Amino acid sequence: MLQQIIALIIIAFLLARQFLAKKKGLISNYEFIFWLVFWLLATAAIILLKWIDQAVASLGFSGTGIEVLFYLGVVVLFYLIFKLRLKLEKIEKDITKIVREITLNK
Amino acid sequence: MLNLKKYCIIPAYNEAKTIVKVIRSVKPFFNKVIVVNDASSDQTLALAKKEDIIVLNHIINRDQGAALETGNQYALDHGAELIVHFDADGQFLAKEINDVMAPIISGEADIVFGSRFLAKKSNMPWFKKNIIMALARLINKIFLGVNLTDPQSGFRALSRMAAKKIIIENDGKAHCSEIMHKAVKYNLRIKEVPITVIYYNFGQRFSGGIDILKELFLSRLIN
Repeated sequence: MLQQIIALIIIAFLLARQFLAKKKGLISNYEFIFWLVFWLLATAAIILLKWIDQAVASLGFSGTGIEVLFYLGVVVLFYLIFKLRLKLEKIEKDITKIVREITLNK
Repeated sequence: MLNLKKYCIIPAYNEAKTIVKVIRSVKPFFNKVIVVNDASSDQTLALAKKEDIIVLNHIINRDQGAALETGNQYALDHGAELIVHFDADGQFLAKEINDVMAPIISGEADIVFGSRFLAKKSNMPWFKKNIIMALARLINKIFLGVNLTDPQSGFRALSRMAAKKIIIENDGKAHCSEIMHKAVKYNLRIKEVPITVIYYNFGQRFSGGIDILKELFLSRLIN
């Protein structure tokens, strides 16, 4: 119970910072909504931890709910890194296009 | 066909030691020689500029594939009818340029690859010849449908039509496999001719091979 309260306090702190950043115009709408949904889902997961434990057990996983959430988190991180890698690759190609354009138009 | 406008493209990155010798050795075979200096930090650019050739300069290093494509675009824009890619490190022999160009001049092929694995002997390190190259050949065959004896040949000649069709999208070393793959994909008439390569160092390493695979994979995903 105490751990859940601490986690919720941390999320509340991060959300407050996020709202502040939005107010100052430091983050875009898209980014704001993405992180808002992310932290709200995290809040829901913390509040409904017992229910998630049951759901996970009924799906046949041997770990607890929090463990399965952790594994899912790792999968999502891998996916995000992969997406980032693709984006970087595209930026690299765009840089090449610009460099070539400058070279050929000199 | 004999009076084709022939262009030689030499991508160069920190090749001050060899660039002048290479330029002078290839010049007699071509109407124009283009050196694409890929943001070298040594004297490559200054030395190339002293020779009576075309020097293009990348302001940021974009790697060999990108430099070759810049050269290709310049050559095509200026009416090149035959393009030869030649390395700046002095590994290739200029006297073999005519052998590589001959099948295009005679109208027998659209693209010609120099191969280190046909009749002539190159002093290639054993591990590279029997392990790395064998693996690269296998990967080219399975994934790219390319069945050529030299999987990473950098000495090649392209007709104008072939150079127009093959737009090099892999900036790094994967361009060799990409060019071969596109030559097969566009049903170009391909020919391999034996060439000699002099190894001053090991050249492309196993880790380099892994990078090539990574580059090919990523480029497939974003294109």
